[in-house]
Amino acid sequence: MEIRIRKLSKYFFSEGKQIKALDNVDLVIPANQIFTLLGPSGCGKTTLLRCIVGLELPDTGEISIGGDIVYSKEKNVFLAPEKRGLSMVFQTYAIWPHMNVFNNVAYPLQTRKTPKEEIRNKVKKTLEFVQLDGFENRPATKLSGGQQQRVALARALVPEPKVILFDEPLSNLDAKLREETRKELRSFLTRLKITAVYVTHDRIEALSLSDTIAVMRGGRITEVGTPKDIYFNSSKKFVADFIGRANLIEGKVARHDDHHTVVDSQIGALACKKRPDVPPGAAVTVCIRPEFIRVSAAFPEDAPNTCRGRVESMVFVGDSYEGEIRIGNTCLVIQIEPTFGCKEGDTAHISFDPQHCTVLNR
Amino acid sequence: MSKRSALTPSLIIIVGFLTVCPVVMLVLGSFSEGLDAFGNFTLDKYIQSYTNPELADIIINTVIFTIGSAIVATFLALFLAYLNTRTNIPFKFLFRIISIIPMMIPHILFSVSWVLLLNPSNGLINLFLRQIFNLADSPFSIYTLPGMILVEGLLDLPIAYLILAPALAAFDVALEESSKVCGASNLRTLVKVTLPVLRPAILASFILVIVRSLASFAVPSVIGMPGRIYVLATHIYQIIATGFAADYGMAAAVGMSALAASIVLIYLYRYLTSESEKFVTISSRGYRPALIDLKKAKYPLFGIVGILSFVLILLPVLVLFYTSLVPYSMVPSAKAFSLMSWKNWVAVLKDPISLLSVKNSVFLGVVGATVGVILSVFVSYVIVKVRTTASGILESLSFLSFSFPGIVVGVGFMWFFVQTPLYATIWSLLIGYIATYLPYGIRPLTSAFIQIHSHLEESSRVSGGGTFYTLRRVVIPLLIPGIVSGWILMATMYVRELTLSVVLSRPGTEVLAVQIFRFAEDGLWGKLSALGIMMIFISTALVVIASLVGAKLTRVQTEGE
Repeated sequence: MEIRIRKLSKYFFSEGKQIKALDNVDLVIPANQIFTLLGPSGCGKTTLLRCIVGLELPDTGEISIGGDIVYSKEKNVFLAPEKRGLSMVFQTYAIWPHMNVFNNVAYPLQTRKTPKEEIRNKVKKTLEFVQLDGFENRPATKLSGGQQQRVALARALVPEPKVILFDEPLSNLDAKLREETRKELRSFLTRLKITAVYVTHDRIEALSLSDTIAVMRGGRITEVGTPKDIYFNSSKKFVADFIGRANLIEGKVARHDDHHTVVDSQIGALACKKRPDVPPGAAVTVCIRPEFIRVSAAFPEDAPNTCRGRVESMVFVGDSYEGEIRIGNTCLVIQIEPTFGCKEGDTAHISFDPQHCTVLNR
Repeated sequence: MSKRSALTPSLIIIVGFLTVCPVVMLVLGSFSEGLDAFGNFTLDKYIQSYTNPELADIIINTVIFTIGSAIVATFLALFLAYLNTRTNIPFKFLFRIISIIPMMIPHILFSVSWVLLLNPSNGLINLFLRQIFNLADSPFSIYTLPGMILVEGLLDLPIAYLILAPALAAFDVALEESSKVCGASNLRTLVKVTLPVLRPAILASFILVIVRSLASFAVPSVIGMPGRIYVLATHIYQIIATGFAADYGMAAAVGMSALAASIVLIYLYRYLTSESEKFVTISSRGYRPALIDLKKAKYPLFGIVGILSFVLILLPVLVLFYTSLVPYSMVPSAKAFSLMSWKNWVAVLKDPISLLSVKNSVFLGVVGATVGVILSVFVSYVIVKVRTTASGILESLSFLSFSFPGIVVGVGFMWFFVQTPLYATIWSLLIGYIATYLPYGIRPLTSAFIQIHSHLEESSRVSGGGTFYTLRRVVIPLLIPGIVSGWILMATMYVRELTLSVVLSRPGTEVLAVQIFRFAEDGLWGKLSALGIMMIFISTALVVIASLVGAKLTRVQTEGE
């Protein structure tokens, strides 16, 4: 089901000051997608999720889910969370400690007055789906973090909702488990073909899990797009910086040629991916991701965007070297193959493809 | 949303009625001509009660009694808390018992047991000493101010201990260590560093004991009245208890002073506890203080603790049980044992008023605690989870009755109930009990609510459970431990309730404590002791049943429906 959010605002009061948790948010969350709200803490992403599910009462605007208005200031509509027919996985999992696994998972069906036989079948099926079959009688307090997370997921899936909301569901798992669960979650959700709204501050989680990402900042939606779009093509400095490690180089647009936009920067003229909408003379920032910077000891012939610098640091991190190369007053972060041999103080040449140089609005 | 928004105002109305009604009625009553002439304005009652020449003595007695009790209780509590938290005294579990068990023994029975031991005509200790030393007169009399202070001090010792022990446990040892590094001895450190830093907690305990002894009725009535030593509480009782001349207007006028003093003291107490919390938060680093080695003083000091626990816990029960079995007061001897019988027990069980009082008290304990806990659940929910300005008002309202002396609340309620058909019914007692002891239910439940993460409720709402469904299936099951302890606290308070009942109870609505009090007035110690032991049995039975039911309910919820 599609979720439409129109001019939604929510204010909090803290120490007498008004804080805009959500500031006039307009957003369409398409049906049957994994849609991620990504942003730093305090950007309003969890508040937006809680407004959708009905746990927060917004101050103005309208929310409709599958065409039904669940909140509207003008029409004076507010549908209680229990009447919205949604599911949600909480950051703390919110597994009820006084119930066993069966009762935790059966709960949403029990509230919907489903016949007992049907409850038993559906719970069994769902527990199998999340690979927890046989855990029915286990007390909720006797589960590991990963198992609790699956119980929370099973509880969200069991009423076969059209929309599931996730509030940072992986942030309480350790790193390795988090990676596994992320893949699993993606496969569960794509198989089920339901609308999933996912809140996270972890960019890797957002990139690897989502069909669409909305980046939020200061209670507003900054940009919406596919993970690749957001990563490679964003024209916003905040988004480009937040979504991945980035070298941001200040400059001025010099001219547009047939294939590229050329920017005069601190490290020389850079041929960048074409941005015809930015007029020559405009102050811009060029974004180059560390993994697209090629480093060589010798001067690379016929390569565009080359410069010479001094290796400031070079750290072995296992699957790669991470280092910094200084060109004039600018330090560029690089990430190169671990086999490359150079050390601090060496002179190195760098080059990068114009396709990977993005012009950002300042 | 509409259900929830109706909840807070309706609770404010209920709790507001329970706590504010007796006070308003007390004020109005103090300016009225009489119970049957309510609203006819007069200042006579104030003039009459405050020009009474005896009042000066009564106030002096009250001041000596309350401050004396506070000194005894706080000193003993400080001694015990220091030994427990800071020294290597053996058998530390005893300290937990000392701090909890005496609360289970009704104050009136504790007071009576001291009368049985130390009254001048036939107190057991006096009889014993007279026999041994061949004295003509009893060496001790409990019917004196020091006697009252001793017993009240011991009764309030647990409350003082519960304030001081956590303060001492959270004390930053570095403060003491640095004093020792500077060359001070243990004793000097205690006097120069430890006690001054603990001053807010000590003062808080001191003031709370003053408030409690100001409200105390058991000790002043059982020990003070026979010795003609009157304090405010017994003075008020005397005004309303003298048969045909009962004057509730004067009682209300005198009650106003007790109420005012109590409210001022409670505000001082609250200020001091917030101060002492400030002191404590400076330090806590999860660092366990080094224990002071008592060396040779270890066992003598433990002896004192042992004697205290014996006196606080075992002695009253033993004395009562012994007295219930002998025909008249006598020192335990072969002769006494040969004369022992269940006669007093049989007499009590055949006494229709005693049986009625058992029935009434059990009813009030069970029904009152159940209603009180249900109300506490809703009130605590609003206080902890709704958290609006209105719920803040509710919180202040529901803890207000802590600061009202019971007998004064009783007089206020009397003025109210006389105007209604509830007068002289068991329901008037029920309402009065719930009003007075509501904080006993709300305390454990608010702490239980605080421990329930809001996500646990929210996930129920999202799963399709409405407000009341969520309460029933998620919140209440998680609250069961808090509900059980709230129920136990209220039920035991109600079964033993004396102060309020002595005002509100009428023929037909006698309760256990009032009946025991009547026996004490008539000197029927044997029957009193038998009924007293039954009272302890009833409280204990209620506690056990409540704990079992709680455990069973929790199991049902965990294992599924």
